[in-house]
Amino acid sequence: METATTALPRQQEYLTSGPVVRIWAIARNTFREAVRDRVLYNLVLFVLLLTLAAVFIGELSGGQERKIIVDLGLSAMLLFGAFISIFVGVGLVFKEIERRTIYAIFSKPVGRGEFLVGKYLGLSLTLLLNVLIMGLGVSLALVYVSEGWDPLAGTIWAAVVLIYLELLILTGIALLFSSFSSPALSALLTFFVFIIGHFSSDLKSLSNSLGSTAARWLFAGLYYLLPNLSNYSFITRAAHGQVPDAQTVSMNLAYALVYVAVLLAAATLIFRRRNFK
Amino acid sequence: MKKSGQTASLVGKTTLLLVAVIVVGLTTTGLLAGSIDRRQPPAPSTSEDERLYLSGSTARRMSLAFNGLAADWYWMRSLQYVGRKLLMVPQDVVLDDLGELNLKLLAPLLDTATTLDPSFMEPYEYAALVLPSIDVNEAIRITNKGISANPNSWRLYQHLGYIYWQQKDYETASQTYAEGATIPGAPNWMEAMSARMAAEGGSRELAREIYQRMYAQASEDTVREMARRRLLQLDSMDQRDALKHILALFQERVGRCPSSWKELERALYSMKWSVDVNGAPLDPSRTPYVLNTDECDVRLAPNSVIPHR
Repeated sequence: METATTALPRQQEYLTSGPVVRIWAIARNTFREAVRDRVLYNLVLFVLLLTLAAVFIGELSGGQERKIIVDLGLSAMLLFGAFISIFVGVGLVFKEIERRTIYAIFSKPVGRGEFLVGKYLGLSLTLLLNVLIMGLGVSLALVYVSEGWDPLAGTIWAAVVLIYLELLILTGIALLFSSFSSPALSALLTFFVFIIGHFSSDLKSLSNSLGSTAARWLFAGLYYLLPNLSNYSFITRAAHGQVPDAQTVSMNLAYALVYVAVLLAAATLIFRRRNFK
Repeated sequence: MKKSGQTASLVGKTTLLLVAVIVVGLTTTGLLAGSIDRRQPPAPSTSEDERLYLSGSTARRMSLAFNGLAADWYWMRSLQYVGRKLLMVPQDVVLDDLGELNLKLLAPLLDTATTLDPSFMEPYEYAALVLPSIDVNEAIRITNKGISANPNSWRLYQHLGYIYWQQKDYETASQTYAEGATIPGAPNWMEAMSARMAAEGGSRELAREIYQRMYAQASEDTVREMARRRLLQLDSMDQRDALKHILALFQERVGRCPSSWKELERALYSMKWSVDVNGAPLDPSRTPYVLNTDECDVRLAPNSVIPHR
């Protein structure tokens, strides 16, 4: 419990500090709020799922329990992470407006961009913890079914990194939509982008196969505008022990960072014009 | 103080009532669901064989990033499908001889699993071993699809060679083993197998080597069990040849067929043959052979686990 006497110097510190400290303070609070809101409770379900899979899947899979544990574990990681990104992400801004705490925040020298970036980093931190614990769970399940060290327990981590990068992009999209739209609509739109993002190769082939120049340009535009999330799908290959090369990971990392920067910039542009009266 | 005690008692009673409603309610809905199920007409036996809703390529598109998990689902469905059909037949059948079970959904299930995850090797192996007795063209097509998707996997060539060998197309089988032998990492025996296939395609010894390799490399228990039983069958064939020889010698010497195994006791003993209490020689699964006195022949007992064909 933070008392007024200890909080005051800290507030003073924030008032006189630079944007990094202010962003970090918002991020930390967003992380705490997510933990308080029992967002990490999904881990219980995940552990239950993996335990059941580790114990029973051997009976059903014809000796393929290791592959199925990786497929199931990493798919659940992506699915649960996507749900957190979408449903917590769209509420990041809305909750502050609804509870009117946003007035208290903006009465201090906190920029709207700083607020959004702080919120984004807070949720990213929550997702990082979530993904790390889930990755550890999958590794332990593999060690359990293999009755000893399993090379897959190490090689899956490259796929975990790619899943996390995908979730970072998805969180950015949720935040962008929530900066100007209602939570329900934002969630729906983010979900659509998640689906279309996995169909991006189809958009490209569609643009190449169409006769009309305008339609070709439209689909080519959509291909480059929407995030190419299929590049982050490495779950199936990870289940066969394949590891993406360093160049693929670094290119995908660069793509995610640039794309997130664009999303946050666009969200800030919109959010700066928003009137809370 | 008294009032707060009354309030606590009321809260306790309410909690108890709510818990009782949940327990009684769930029990009632469970009983009702069972009763509704019993009133439903039984599902037609053909419903299990209805065509799949989705083709492999559509399933791949719809599965987004979860195609590996979807492939696992189709793979497990294939195993359950075969398993359920096997439970419906009274006699013991071998995995590579399921032609009479009407497994028309197996090829689409394995095809979808391999389209969703082209590197998933087990469905290819299953297709090569189980499908030839159902639809050999599909077995060849799915295995060739696997070779296209995994050109560095020599084991797929081994599976394809096995399909051609089963079809008694020893020349194509030999070529397939030879192609597989050129892949980096392929074991030396692939090349030797190619040569043997060309020279002695239909021999029992070659069959024994094929099943020994299959037994050693199978990742799936049912496949390993199938190879084990085929090896027992080959051993039993050798034994039956030896027994027929003993019967022929007896017939030549005495001028008639023995009326029971007891009459061959000495001959069997001299060959150190395991016999049961009635003197009947035991097959590799420790089941006594049956003497057919009409034809002066030896047969596998109907209850023997050794494949009859």
